Amino acid sequence: MTTPGTALLAGGTALSLGATVLLAVGYVRRDDQFDTIVTRLVAGGATLFLAALAFLTYQFVTTDYTNAYVWQNTADYLPLLYRITGVYASNAGSLLLWTAIAALVAAWAIWRRDLADASARLVGVVTMGAVTYFGVMLLLDSPFKHISTTVSGGTPTTGSGLNPLLIDPYMAIHPPLMFIGYALLTMPFAIGVAHFVGLVRGNEGLFRSWNGSVTRWLRAAWLFLTAALALGALWSYTVLGWGGIWAWDPVETAIFIPWLFLTATLHAVVNYRPGDRYSVLAPAMIASTFALVVYTTTVVRSGVFRSVHSFADNGAGLGMLILMGATAVLGVGLPLGYWLLREESTSEDEPWLTRSTLLHGAVLALGMLAFISLWGLTFPVLRDLATGIEVEVTARYYNRWSYPVTLLTLLLLGFYMDYDVEGKRRALAGLGLFGVATVVAAVYAPSESWTLGAGTERSTGFYALVGQMSALSVFPPVAYVLMAVLKRGLARIPGAPRRTQLKQTGVVFVHVGVAVLVFSLAFTYLFTGQASVIVDSGANGEAVDVPNSPYAVQTLGFESYSLPEQPNVERVALSTTELQERGTATNSTTQVVHGTITDIRRGPRAAVYQLDESGIWVGVTSRNGTSGASYARGDSIVARGAVMWNYVPQTDAVVVTDPTNVGTTASPPDSLGLERVRVQAVNLAVSEGDRQVAVGQAAQRRYPRQGGMQTRDVLIDRGLAYDTYVIAAVQGDTASLTVKRIPLMTPLRLSVVSLLVGMLLIFLFDPAHGVWTRPLAPTAETDPDPTTSD
Amino acid sequence: MNARKVLTVVFFVTALGIGYASMNTAPVLSDESYSYHGGTEWHTDYEQAEAIAQEENKPILVYFWTTWCTYCEDYNKNVYSKPAVQDRLDEFVLVAINLDSDDAQASRLASEYNADYPPQLVATDPQGERLAKINGYVERQQFLSYLDKAERRMDE
Repeated sequence: MTTPGTALLAGGTALSLGATVLLAVGYVRRDDQFDTIVTRLVAGGATLFLAALAFLTYQFVTTDYTNAYVWQNTADYLPLLYRITGVYASNAGSLLLWTAIAALVAAWAIWRRDLADASARLVGVVTMGAVTYFGVMLLLDSPFKHISTTVSGGTPTTGSGLNPLLIDPYMAIHPPLMFIGYALLTMPFAIGVAHFVGLVRGNEGLFRSWNGSVTRWLRAAWLFLTAALALGALWSYTVLGWGGIWAWDPVETAIFIPWLFLTATLHAVVNYRPGDRYSVLAPAMIASTFALVVYTTTVVRSGVFRSVHSFADNGAGLGMLILMGATAVLGVGLPLGYWLLREESTSEDEPWLTRSTLLHGAVLALGMLAFISLWGLTFPVLRDLATGIEVEVTARYYNRWSYPVTLLTLLLLGFYMDYDVEGKRRALAGLGLFGVATVVAAVYAPSESWTLGAGTERSTGFYALVGQMSALSVFPPVAYVLMAVLKRGLARIPGAPRRTQLKQTGVVFVHVGVAVLVFSLAFTYLFTGQASVIVDSGANGEAVDVPNSPYAVQTLGFESYSLPEQPNVERVALSTTELQERGTATNSTTQVVHGTITDIRRGPRAAVYQLDESGIWVGVTSRNGTSGASYARGDSIVARGAVMWNYVPQTDAVVVTDPTNVGTTASPPDSLGLERVRVQAVNLAVSEGDRQVAVGQAAQRRYPRQGGMQTRDVLIDRGLAYDTYVIAAVQGDTASLTVKRIPLMTPLRLSVVSLLVGMLLIFLFDPAHGVWTRPLAPTAETDPDPTTSD
Repeated sequence: MNARKVLTVVFFVTALGIGYASMNTAPVLSDESYSYHGGTEWHTDYEQAEAIAQEENKPILVYFWTTWCTYCEDYNKNVYSKPAVQDRLDEFVLVAINLDSDDAQASRLASEYNADYPPQLVATDPQGERLAKINGYVERQQFLSYLDKAERRMDE
């Protein structure tokens, strides 16, 4: 059945396809006659996709259950905010969000730059091609399927509900930010691809003149992805009750990989010099960032992991292996081989130690971190496909390979910053000093708990080696970075032109943020203390010490309640008139009806009640003699059962049910699923010594309609040095409490703010490529003198 | 070769090294002939195990498990990994059946021994005649007493 939403999607896809084709023709023929119409098609496509998104949002807000996707992802009891977030609760809606933003970005880019030259048309072909592709995917798995494709017997009266994990403010903002980041990456991807097409066709490619544009798109994408990652991490901190912000689960890792690679790419783009250095690598990297996004999203979302065996069985596994191998060879091997064999013009007389070499080191170090995460996501699938052996990848793999590389990266960063100010000899001395300090610190652990492997399973080989390292080893690199970055900031900022000052302040903020982030992350991981205690209502008001911890808890009372507070039976159940209207389409389907009893027939095995003097009767069968409650004339009842039309003479339809599925409107049966959330909470005051650190509620929420899934409301006191974090498992008047002390969470949060503020300054005020300060003439966008700017 | 190219070559060699080493040292959940639970080795091919049992006249212990079952992890942690249990398990031919497997043999065994949820263990004689069954998770002492019971009935 075609719905208005599907029509919008089809229209958007058709217009985008038209634009792609005309752009391609215009590019090949070097013809500008289609430019006006293309601009209109692109704008039209974007408008239709946005309209589809708005329409879906509207359907969610009004809980329009004629849309199957809406029915699957929301419910009436949810407040407005979480009805809206239902839009991107599943794959189809997320893809629509992604598509709409990508279409908007493509339209904006085309409007902004016009289609002045052939290369702009080629970039347009790629972006609009991507949008068209998304549009086709949406049509194949549409968020606008009519409800009749999913359930029979008419539109359901209630929704299935939202995934409980997504009922959280952080989750309301995280997906849009992430998809904006992803959509922004379509532009650099298109520019990179267009560049190589240009190279193949014998001109020099367009990267030289689009360098500034690429830089801005990449920085904007980085801002959004960083914010999305941070919000996702904070979400897992509060919602999942892990008591940590990072657990290396595949979904988190899937955003982290493109983020790391994007960070590497930003450094590569800085190193780019037209026709010379990085003239292959920089465009190759900007093109692959988006490819990585697609790869990781596919691996995580499509369930390749779960369906590995079905892939392997039908031979598609081999196909996938070949595809991945070919992509790796073509995408990475070819450009690299080309670059390695080709002589760069400066390579003869260039000294080994230059800023460019150091930047290249940064690109490689960040690339290595990205590789480690990417490989962790990939190799279990590969190995299973190739050998049938299932292996598991735990946090140990990610942590212990990443940690040494992270330390090296920080040392390199410190060295780069120092070298920039102090020159070669003094900087090398500094590196030597801090390098030795790092090694010494890695060997010396004040106590067992300082080793990285403390409290985890025994390991062998490399894992054991890193597991023996002391967490003290993070101090020297972090100190080195902080010192060198601040020193360079002080040397560069005072007296410089205002834009340079602002940009350099941004550079300082970003890199200080990184150092603080690594430092606090290591400590939240290693030094989280945890203790448990059981309290009950007998101890109300008394402080109970939590054994093996500095804390005491005071129980202030238990409560339990259900949501929605006053379920509306009339809204959930059909009236007799509504059932009559739906008619025989509901035959043999399960429905809920309500009405007032106007006639009764009792038999040995069943009682049959007429509702509202209509042709609708409720037949309550009693299995093996148990009859349950019986009802009288005038009672208002609600029943859930199979509707049988023309089943019994003198009736229109009988709703066949049993005693457990029928009740009065005042006390409806449980099987109606009116209770959406069961909350069991305990009010607590947590004190440390004489100081009260937190007062509030810790609770668990159980979602009967989501298979009894549970979430926890944690009680968190955010302190400067550490957070106090309480998780409760409440059973009646007893609560089992886990109190954690998580160090350095506030510095961690501040480091993220510092990253974002810093990048925003660079994004806006960079003298060469800033949005605010962008020179108007496009020719001035490439950096004429690489040694003075940056 | 300039410094950047040398660094790049070093990068790829390191990446290959990390990739190879990590892939080969990753904890194995299962391979062609065995699956591993708490440091114990269980056959995955029932018929092969049956042949061994008949040859050595040992009882068979069939373990029905899944990757997502938390009680299975408890078995790994608290039962199978203990040396006292491992000594006793040596007296049996061990077979692990992943209940999620689409394999015909797995579903035949699951229905034959009524194993509809994980974890369950069934001890049988070499001919597949049932000697004892453990439904769900039991503590170590109780687990061992089931093994005792199976061996007593095997001797009768």
